[in-house]
Order: sequence, then structure tokens, then C-alpha cells
Amino acid sequence: MSDSDFGNLRAVLPHPTEASRPFWEACQRGELLLGRCDACDHVFYYPRRHCPACGAPEPGWIRSSGRGRIFSFTHVAVSFHGAGWESQLPYTVILVDLEEGPRMLSRLVGGGREAVKSGDAVEVVFPEVEGQRLPFFRRAG
Amino acid sequence: MPRVTQDVVIAGIGETPVGRLPGMNSVEIQAQAVLAALKDAGIGLRELDGLVNLDPYATPNSMFATTLCEYLGIEPRYSATVDVGGTVTGMTMLQQAAWAIEAGYCEVAVCVYGENTLTGRAAGTQGLHMQNLLGGEEWEEPFGCQAMVIPYALVAQRYFDLYGAGPDDLGAVAVATRAHALLNDNAQMRKPMTLADHHASRPISSPLRLLDCSLISDGGGAVVLVSGAEARRRGLNGARIRSMAMRGTHNSAAVMPDIDGFGMAAAGRDAFESAGVGAGDFDVAQLHDAFTISVLVTLEALGFCPPGGAGDYVRSGNASLGGRCPVNTHGGLLSQAHIGGMLHIVEAVRQLRGSAGPRQVLDARLAVVSGNGGVFSICGVMVLEAGR
Repeated sequence: MSDSDFGNLRAVLPHPTEASRPFWEACQRGELLLGRCDACDHVFYYPRRHCPACGAPEPGWIRSSGRGRIFSFTHVAVSFHGAGWESQLPYTVILVDLEEGPRMLSRLVGGGREAVKSGDAVEVVFPEVEGQRLPFFRRAG
Repeated sequence: MPRVTQDVVIAGIGETPVGRLPGMNSVEIQAQAVLAALKDAGIGLRELDGLVNLDPYATPNSMFATTLCEYLGIEPRYSATVDVGGTVTGMTMLQQAAWAIEAGYCEVAVCVYGENTLTGRAAGTQGLHMQNLLGGEEWEEPFGCQAMVIPYALVAQRYFDLYGAGPDDLGAVAVATRAHALLNDNAQMRKPMTLADHHASRPISSPLRLLDCSLISDGGGAVVLVSGAEARRRGLNGARIRSMAMRGTHNSAAVMPDIDGFGMAAAGRDAFESAGVGAGDFDVAQLHDAFTISVLVTLEALGFCPPGGAGDYVRSGNASLGGRCPVNTHGGLLSQAHIGGMLHIVEAVRQLRGSAGPRQVLDARLAVVSGNGGVFSICGVMVLEAGR
């Protein structure tokens, strides 16, 4: 399944800071990055200018496998962006527990969304949405 | 351990009409609530020398305490706008006003929140858009996570998965709360609700349906606090704050912990220990109910029932008038109005004064109020007791 197979997805695009820009730029290359502290090895999401576990400055990055399991999910049935979003309904917002540990909020796209259950395996995909590739997930396997 | 407030008395409460208040702005609504609370206390406007308020969410302002003081026509010795989050802010206002009184900065302080959230929001808006500088825009919105209902739906689904709970458990809260609202003349929702009505309401964000969601409301609420000395001078014997505690764990849904990681249990432990009470001691509870799931999670976190047991607890009548500890006797955010938790406090005081009319809990001496901001991001618990 190619990234163009997820239909006409819409999103409100992020406004990165200098510190978060590497995360969004990596998405354009098809990579999901997590923050990693050089001082205490803590791996975290979302990226920050310091480690939220120990406070050390300028944490580094690791590349996530992009694999994880659904922690929770919701099928959204109403548009919060007027009529222009009704084509998206229902869409599925998920919390994913990534293999590396951090939990990430994202969106489930592709087939089998209606039957998704907590604990299901998912993998990251990077469909182009509003001209920018975003780190969404699809069911794995 | 937060210490018990020693000598501050709740002298008055004020509540404006709720629902649609077209033609009123947030300053006017807050002023009306303040004047109602002062009248209730028998205290003149000129005697007010402290004010704490919350800035309106739908129409954000800066310097809102100063704006309100000017509009009221007062020059208080202490004023502040606080925004801790959601329904925690109300009890934080009381905490800060009590500290200001105890420290001698003022003697008569009012805590107030109100706004025209319903008629003041942009036309065609669904829900209430939260301006959330940290995390919100960048780590929620690109993923379609807008409005408060979506993160609460994620909590509700998690709750279902953990405990095998279902729509009947959510519906039990909605139905019990609506029954209380029918006894409140100042409630937006005046029609009875059955479990079938709940289940038939339209899906919003699974598993939450329309009747799992709180109302969007215009309206305001206020509480007047005075020093013990001032209360004795005036012959007032109002309710008192026994304790207040809070705990914040996160803000954005993007970094939400599991349900047992929310701050409600820790805030409850601190507040109960400080007051020397347990869940079994309360006569009445006014609990955060922005969504039905909030009540289930809060009842369990505060120890009213075991984890996963809140649906049965509510279904068995424990949370209804006449039950073990009635919850949200005014109809709550779900069926009275969503005034940021101020009316939870106002109702708790009303119950402790014995002035709640047809919904009065017999001989209510001890009340607990809970609040949370965000998605259980910051949680607060306040213990109030009747005048001695």
C-alpha cells in the first residue's frame, strides 16, 4: 500500500519551532524521530529542548521503528472544522505505545479502522496531507 | 502536607441565570455574580478588598481581574486572575483568596468566574476550541485531536478496555445527574432522561455520545470569603474550607498517562489527609463531570468505590439524592450548566447551609468538590464543612 492510498486526508498543519523542526523534516524523509537524552538515556515524545526526565539540555534523537500497539482509540463522528471536514468523518484518533517506550498521539488510517481494538499492532506511515507528510499509523500485519 | 485553612469563612454565594444570556459580555456576567454573592453575604460593594477571577476561555483577555475591578467600581488591596485549568481553577481561587485573607492582605475577598461561552463563541463552532500553547497545536491538531471530547473519549475507551465497562456505565451517570437537574430551577436541561435516551443520542467521539458531554453555557458563579474575625463581627457562621490539594501530571493528550497515573488520587489523598477525613465521611460530593467518564474515574480515584466499580456504584443509587453520598445535586456540568466548576462550589456551600430546597441532602455537614483541567491533566480536591 503506497502513501497515496489513504484517500483525501485533511489536517491542521503544525507550526514547528527551531527545536521541533528536525522531527517534522524527518517525516518528509519517512522517518519517525524520538528525543533521547545523552545524560540519562531517557527516550521521549514529543521533542523538547531539554530532557523531561533529568533536565539535561540539548537531547539527541533516535529513529523509532515506527511499530507500536494501540493504547486507546476513538472514532470521531463530528467535524470541528466546519463542512470542509465532513469528508473525513468518521476519522480515528489513537494513542500508540511505541516499541521504544514513549506514547504518541496520532491518527489511524487505511483499512480495518472500524474493527480496531486496543492492543492491536500498528505501524507508522507518512501520507502526504495538505502538501506535507505526517506521521500517521495503519494496522500492521 | 497542605495545612487546613484555620479561620476563613464562606460568607456568600452568587449564581447568575445560566444558558443563553445574549447581550451580556463576560465582564458583565462576572460582575452580576459578584453582586449576587455580596448581597447573599449582606456585604456592601465598598467593603470588598480582594478579588480573584478567571479570564474567559471563549473570548480571552489580559488583565481580567483589573478589568472586572474597574467595571465593579472597586479598588481592592489584592486582585489576581488565575488559570490553573478547567474546574480546578475555582477551588484554586478560593485557596488563593483564603491565603490572602490569612496573610492579612484583605478581609473580604470574592472569587468569580463567568462568561458568555455559548453566545460568545464564533458562529458555526462545534465544541469549545482550547487555546493550548504547550503541545496543543503542534502535537494534537495535526492528528485530528481537537476539542476536549476527543481526549476524554480516549480515556473512556481505555476505561472500557481496563474494566469491561460499557455505555450503561456512562449512561448511569448521565441519567442520575439529569434527575438532579430537574430539581434545579436554574438548569439548562429540564427534560427527564432515560438510559435509552442516552444510548440513542448521536455519537460524537466513540464511545462518547451527545448525552455524555457537558453543556456549553453562559453564566457565572461567585463565592465571598471573609476572615474569621470579620465573620464574628458580622455574626456570620458560614461554611469553611477544610482543605484543598491539587496535582498536575501533564497537559496535552499527546502525553497522557494511564488512568491510574492521573493526579486525582494523589490530590484526594492530600486533601483528605489534611482534613482528617475519608471518602466514607462525606454527605455530598460535587465532582467534575465535563464528560460522564470523568465522574466514574473520579469516584474511583477518591475511594468511593473500587477501580472499575463506579458504574455499579452509580447504578445502585449511591450517587443519587437519598443515596449514600449524592453527586452533583445541582445537575452538574452535564445537566445544569458548565460554569467552569464554580457552581459545584456554590452548590456544595448551599448544601452545607441547608438551603438547597427540594434537592437538599439531609443534615449535610461535609462536602467534597473535585475539579480537573485538560484531560485529568491537573486535578484538584477541596473539602468543605458546615459552619460550627
